[in-house]
Amino acid sequence: MLMLKQLGFLFNADLCIGCRSCEAACINENKTPAGVRWRRVTPTSENSFLSISCNHCDSPECFRICPQKAFSKQRDGIVMIDNGLCDGCMKCLPVCPFEAPQFDLRQRKASKCIFCHERLKQNLLPACIEACPTEALQMIDLNKEIPEGSVRTIPGFPDILLTKPSIRFYPSQAGKRYFIQD
Amino acid sequence: MSKAKIVIFRNVCPRNCYNTCSLLSYVQEGKLLKVAGDPQNGYTQGKLCAKGYASTEFVYSPERLRFPLRQYPRGSGKWQRISWEEALTEIAEKILELNQLYGSNLAIAYNKCSGNIGLLHYAVEGMFNSLGAHTKPRGNPCLAAGQDAFIYDFGKALNPDPEKMADSKLIILWGVNPAYTAIQQIKFINKARQKGAKMVVIDPIFTVTAAKADLYIQIRPGTDGLLALLLAKILVEEGNYDQSFVLKHTWGFEPFLNYLRSNNLQDFLSQVSHVTGVRPEAIWELASLLADSKPCSLWVGFGLQRNTNGGQNIRAINALMALTGNICLPGGGAYYLNSNLDYFPQNLLNHQGPGGSHKQSRQVDLNNFASDLLNLKDPPVRLLWIANRNPLSQDQNLNKWRSLLSKLDLIVTVDLYMTKTAAMSDLVLPAASHFEEDDLNLSYWHHWLTLNQKALPPFFEAKSDLQIARELTAKLNKLSPGFSNFPFELTAEDWLAKEFTPQVLKLYGLQNWEELKDGPRKLLQADPPWAGRTFLTPSGKFEFYSAHAKKNNLPAIAKFKWPQTSSYPLRLLSPQYLLSIHSQSGWLSWFEHDNLGIVKMHPADAAKRGLLDGNQVKIFNAYGSIVRKIQITASVPPGVVVAYQGGEDPLNTLIVNAFTDMGANQNGTNNIAFYDVYVECAKGR
Repeated sequence: MLMLKQLGFLFNADLCIGCRSCEAACINENKTPAGVRWRRVTPTSENSFLSISCNHCDSPECFRICPQKAFSKQRDGIVMIDNGLCDGCMKCLPVCPFEAPQFDLRQRKASKCIFCHERLKQNLLPACIEACPTEALQMIDLNKEIPEGSVRTIPGFPDILLTKPSIRFYPSQAGKRYFIQD
Repeated sequence: MSKAKIVIFRNVCPRNCYNTCSLLSYVQEGKLLKVAGDPQNGYTQGKLCAKGYASTEFVYSPERLRFPLRQYPRGSGKWQRISWEEALTEIAEKILELNQLYGSNLAIAYNKCSGNIGLLHYAVEGMFNSLGAHTKPRGNPCLAAGQDAFIYDFGKALNPDPEKMADSKLIILWGVNPAYTAIQQIKFINKARQKGAKMVVIDPIFTVTAAKADLYIQIRPGTDGLLALLLAKILVEEGNYDQSFVLKHTWGFEPFLNYLRSNNLQDFLSQVSHVTGVRPEAIWELASLLADSKPCSLWVGFGLQRNTNGGQNIRAINALMALTGNICLPGGGAYYLNSNLDYFPQNLLNHQGPGGSHKQSRQVDLNNFASDLLNLKDPPVRLLWIANRNPLSQDQNLNKWRSLLSKLDLIVTVDLYMTKTAAMSDLVLPAASHFEEDDLNLSYWHHWLTLNQKALPPFFEAKSDLQIARELTAKLNKLSPGFSNFPFELTAEDWLAKEFTPQVLKLYGLQNWEELKDGPRKLLQADPPWAGRTFLTPSGKFEFYSAHAKKNNLPAIAKFKWPQTSSYPLRLLSPQYLLSIHSQSGWLSWFEHDNLGIVKMHPADAAKRGLLDGNQVKIFNAYGSIVRKIQITASVPPGVVVAYQGGEDPLNTLIVNAFTDMGANQNGTNNIAFYDVYVECAKGR
């Protein structure tokens, strides 16, 4: 399929302060039920973080494995899930390296980040990106331009070889540190 | 999805927090659908923190109190729903009974703090003033020592505009962790860094903010002033200070210089290095940054004044900033807090009782409240009203609180949730959230003013502090005509309008207060506040030597007092956590709250005690004990443990009679030395 765009994320680990505004803004916007987290901030060490959602992969495993063909890839690169088609078989859950499909126990269906595509239509950024107070999380179109100096992965990020996630990174840089000696 | 129209209201987060974020509420048929940051606030710029984005949960949580409740016996957990009519009648009858018995209202007291810092929440004070003489608290538990330090040095605590930190060449964050407590400030710091500024963090804890710094210096808690004095000495001895500024615009440099010269540099350096734990090469590096980088912004957090040497610490740091002339440079300055609230008449707070009679009130120390109340006789206090506060989690001397509560006739708590304090009350009244009331909020940090609109109908039977004051007054006056002079006929809008004096309108460039319905407004002020080089001290200069301080029985110049020693070897720090403020919001189910149950300890201290990561430990001292799960981490220095406030087993159990060295000048009493607390840890419960 010809992709007009490949929308994705640029995550600057150096700017992320782990404040979790992105995570809460996602719930605020999408009204996901308790336990369903389309975006999660996780520590990679005590003071550095990753913010991960569906990465709208180039080769999405969810798309490949789903018997109901509930997943589709739009021409802007967004991987969508059709709630009506999902029968709750849960096969997509273990194959995604990013734990993007989340299982809603009450509905007995999977759901995931759909890149706030309704907001995009109104020229608004996805809720998580809009919320980020340090611009650590940004939207990019990987078909257009790869941000200069960005890298494909950083320590702590799951395997990228299988699915080719649409995310690029700027790694964090450590400053000079003087700790009290024992 | 309903087709009913979505209406957007302007609100503002009323928490005791640097950020004071302006927000937009999306409301459909009286229901809060979602919130967004208000992009018209130039400081918060359309962003909120995680707690702010969780507003729908804050409003509609199943834990939220819905109706007035009566508990009998007190603390039994046996609650009964009652009507407002019953609750207000019971309270009013008790007030009148005590008044008849003692011939005054001195047996009636309230305790209020920063649970909601909106201006109309001063309705609590207004309601009590309206009774005439009563028993009222005075003091500020939190930041008074630092505020006094700024008053002695500058004449007033006046922040530069924190947005201007973006123009700094050197940013020193001293004992402050904006990644947790002031996330909106980070973008201004980053802007400066993009232009080449260096960011230094000095903190006992290797915080998230520290991890982002160009230079992080770990320091032993409470020794900050000593490091500042050494830096001042190095700058002076190397001639790296602003001599012309010091000569023209400061007072008492000679005695300060003599104090600095009373030690030999090498001896002092090794002594300071030993006490603070900061290695000499770090000290030299910081001194050379200070000498070479201007303008410099230095932000002192509240933590480093929460100890017995707190005010002196801040004065020493201020002296360092004056020495380098940074306090008057655009893009530089000493940051602590602003005093913008002073511009407002605060009509509810200052409401006069009948014939000014409230001035005969008994004032008790808010920071020693339970002890002071227990000591009152003729008459003893028998009714206590608690609003905007959870003292059984957040005050010190919790055992005294328990004994106080056992002695009172009637305890009334107004809150949104069943806090530790509400659970020990006789009557609990459900409070409105900020979405359900009109209010006006300004920040003690940034310069924006936001109107808070009533966006939602009350949650079940919740009422605002102002509405409660109006209704209780009406009830009292019905039972005893003329008992209270609270103008209960005035609405929230009436009180809002009264805050906008011609001076306030001018300061914010407003024609009328209703303009705030179109968006928040920023204070129009010259920046930095001391650009004119005129200070509000007695000398009109920055005072290294403060006769004012001396008159208040404090050292005239910033002096370092050696820390107290304790038989308990570990120092307990209890800073704010990312997902809660004091004891508020620690339960939001959108997040896991593992941090509330942990204590962080250095590997060496854990090894000494045979503790392993994840062990349950008892943290104790002579006053009590709490239980936490241990997290072993080199982010805390040896000899220090870190735990967070709030939760089911509040750490304030361990804090007794801890007071700072300053605070009384501005706030009537010294604040609580929350971080001068010593403990031991052992495995088990």
